[in-house]
Amino acid sequence: MSVNNGVFSYEKNGRIILNEINFSTKEGEIMAILGPNGAGKTTLLRCMMGFLKWNSGTSKLDDTDIRSIPARELWKHVAYVPQARQASSAYSVQETVMLGRGSHFGLLAQPSEKDIKKVNEVMERLHIAHLADKRCSEISGGELQMVLIARALASEPQILILDEPESNLDFRNQLLVLNTMSELAVEGMSCIFNTHFPSHALQRAAKSLLFCGDGKTLFGDTNEIVTEENIEKAFGVKAVIGEIETPETVLHDVLPIKLADLNESAEEKGSNDKRLAVVAIITGSYESGEKINRLMHEYARCIVGRMGMPYHQNGVYIINVILDGAEKDIQTLSHKLSILPGVSVKTTYAKKDSSEQGGALTFEQYI
Amino acid sequence: MKSHLAGTLSRQSRVLLILLPFVAAFAALCIGRYSFISPAQFLASAKEFILGLKPQDGNTYTVLWSIRFPRILTALLVGAGLSAAGCAFQGLFSNPLATPDTLGVASGASFGAVLGLLFGFDLIGVQLLAILMGFAAIVLTYVTGAGREFRMNTVVLAGIMIGSLFNALVSLVKYVADAESQLPAITYWLMGSLASTGYRSLAMCAPVIIVGLIILFALRWRLNLLPLTEDEARATGTNIMALRLVTAVCAAAITAACISLCGQVGWVGLLIPHICRMKYGNNNMSIIPASISLGAVFMVVVDTAARTLSAAEIPVSILTAIIGAPFFIALMRKSGGWRL
Repeated sequence: MSVNNGVFSYEKNGRIILNEINFSTKEGEIMAILGPNGAGKTTLLRCMMGFLKWNSGTSKLDDTDIRSIPARELWKHVAYVPQARQASSAYSVQETVMLGRGSHFGLLAQPSEKDIKKVNEVMERLHIAHLADKRCSEISGGELQMVLIARALASEPQILILDEPESNLDFRNQLLVLNTMSELAVEGMSCIFNTHFPSHALQRAAKSLLFCGDGKTLFGDTNEIVTEENIEKAFGVKAVIGEIETPETVLHDVLPIKLADLNESAEEKGSNDKRLAVVAIITGSYESGEKINRLMHEYARCIVGRMGMPYHQNGVYIINVILDGAEKDIQTLSHKLSILPGVSVKTTYAKKDSSEQGGALTFEQYI
Repeated sequence: MKSHLAGTLSRQSRVLLILLPFVAAFAALCIGRYSFISPAQFLASAKEFILGLKPQDGNTYTVLWSIRFPRILTALLVGAGLSAAGCAFQGLFSNPLATPDTLGVASGASFGAVLGLLFGFDLIGVQLLAILMGFAAIVLTYVTGAGREFRMNTVVLAGIMIGSLFNALVSLVKYVADAESQLPAITYWLMGSLASTGYRSLAMCAPVIIVGLIILFALRWRLNLLPLTEDEARATGTNIMALRLVTAVCAAAITAACISLCGQVGWVGLLIPHICRMKYGNNNMSIIPASISLGAVFMVVVDTAARTLSAAEIPVSILTAIIGAPFFIALMRKSGGWRL
């Protein structure tokens, strides 16, 4: 799905909410839309899906303008998960999930055996099958969010669009929702989600779109977009991005420190320097393995050497990659690896001045 | 893993819901103030009616097929129609208190009918005017309510306004009507009665009700999408505006036709759908058929009571409330209230 030069304002010649929006996602990619309250995140989703009309610009699905795709066809490919608090709660969980099948049978038809089977499958997969007969008003917020995701998945989409799926949820349910998105992405689904949490973008999303005032946006690889400077620009908050090491992997986290002083200018970070690094990867999942290989291929230009071995005893695969290239590229690759589910990643950089001291390692391209 | 869809009717319920209206209609045919007609007499007479034979017992034949049968058919249709329309309106406005009158249709149809009575039209004329005014009310509601942006609440508000406008017009007609002859007729008609129905009035209104019911029944799963928010509903690939329009037109047409047949029969459109919701949940796949069936049964029972309890007929709307309200309250207490 892509958006080209999307411009939107509610009234003609009124305040421009969305200005020159450009982005595109590939299959199997998670994209986060970040921005302060009222920046236009939900408006962007609504424009993107055609609920609101762009003043100019287009949303495209596989290079076709979505306005020219018939509704039934479009909503077989795209599914929408609204904010949980808007949901109607009159129906049982199974009935609610069935509502997502609407684009799969005729206007006057009733759900068939096949539809019921699919609905039950989806509920099973998201671990909500035991709630099937409960009313949506009787289940918890976390469960309701999973029900809404199930409803979207029931239409067997290629693109899932979620509006603040993890807002108002506790830690456990946030993780459940985020893990579900990661798993779906590895299986080849694109997920686009709105969020208030830059950490979630850092930990899950390959691509990010950040609103930084006046409807302008930044779009690119998450680790280039979600930076301390950009967060300060967008949210008016001084924040630090830190790495938290767990026994399994390294997590990126964003911590707000204080309200930003607008007069202070943010300093530039030079990330085009060449660096040498080793990325250690352990993965237990076959699907993620495939994705890792594709990423390696994509970044072949900075890979100097790699070593991989299956460790059958534990059912895991261990990969070591030696990288030499722009710090930016290395960061992007290790970030993209770290957001895959079931993959542990750690990046170790060589010290910057090691070549000047003429140590044991000498690489021609290493300046 | 069960392959059954929760909230749909079980086989047992289906059989029961199909049989009940027939049983009720059969019982109602036999009961009446003329005399109780035994099933044997009924069968003999039914044979004559169907095969077009010359009746042996002329009185029984006339009572059964010229008086009771059209009246019971009307009761079945009106009960089914008003219940299904109520059900559809409740979904359409996501409001459990919505009734067939929410869009001002019932008030409009009433105005048409009393106007007809004031002008001294015959029965068919009165009905025709009632249907026309019912439709005029929908159109007015739509025109006033659907402004630059279509919002359900605005339309409901417009419906209430148009409804009160027509109610005022009804009062005006009552005020100018001849207190000796016309006013009693108008008042009596407003309380609702199936006494004056015959095959002729049925022939005009029944097709409207039946077509409306068939459309609502066919759309029953889609009706589940109505309470969703605009975006959610569109994301299911359904043209939600068209669905709303079709539902509203069907339900309003049914209501106008029912009211033109037998006056303002209150309660049915609220009572029956909620009884069904308590029993079967909110899935329209089950409550539309259940409302149609139970609405028909309820109306036949009430109308039979109306014509048999006393020598003078009791207006139906009085009975629907007297029978319906306590029953409804008992059920509500037992099932722990309704939810929508």
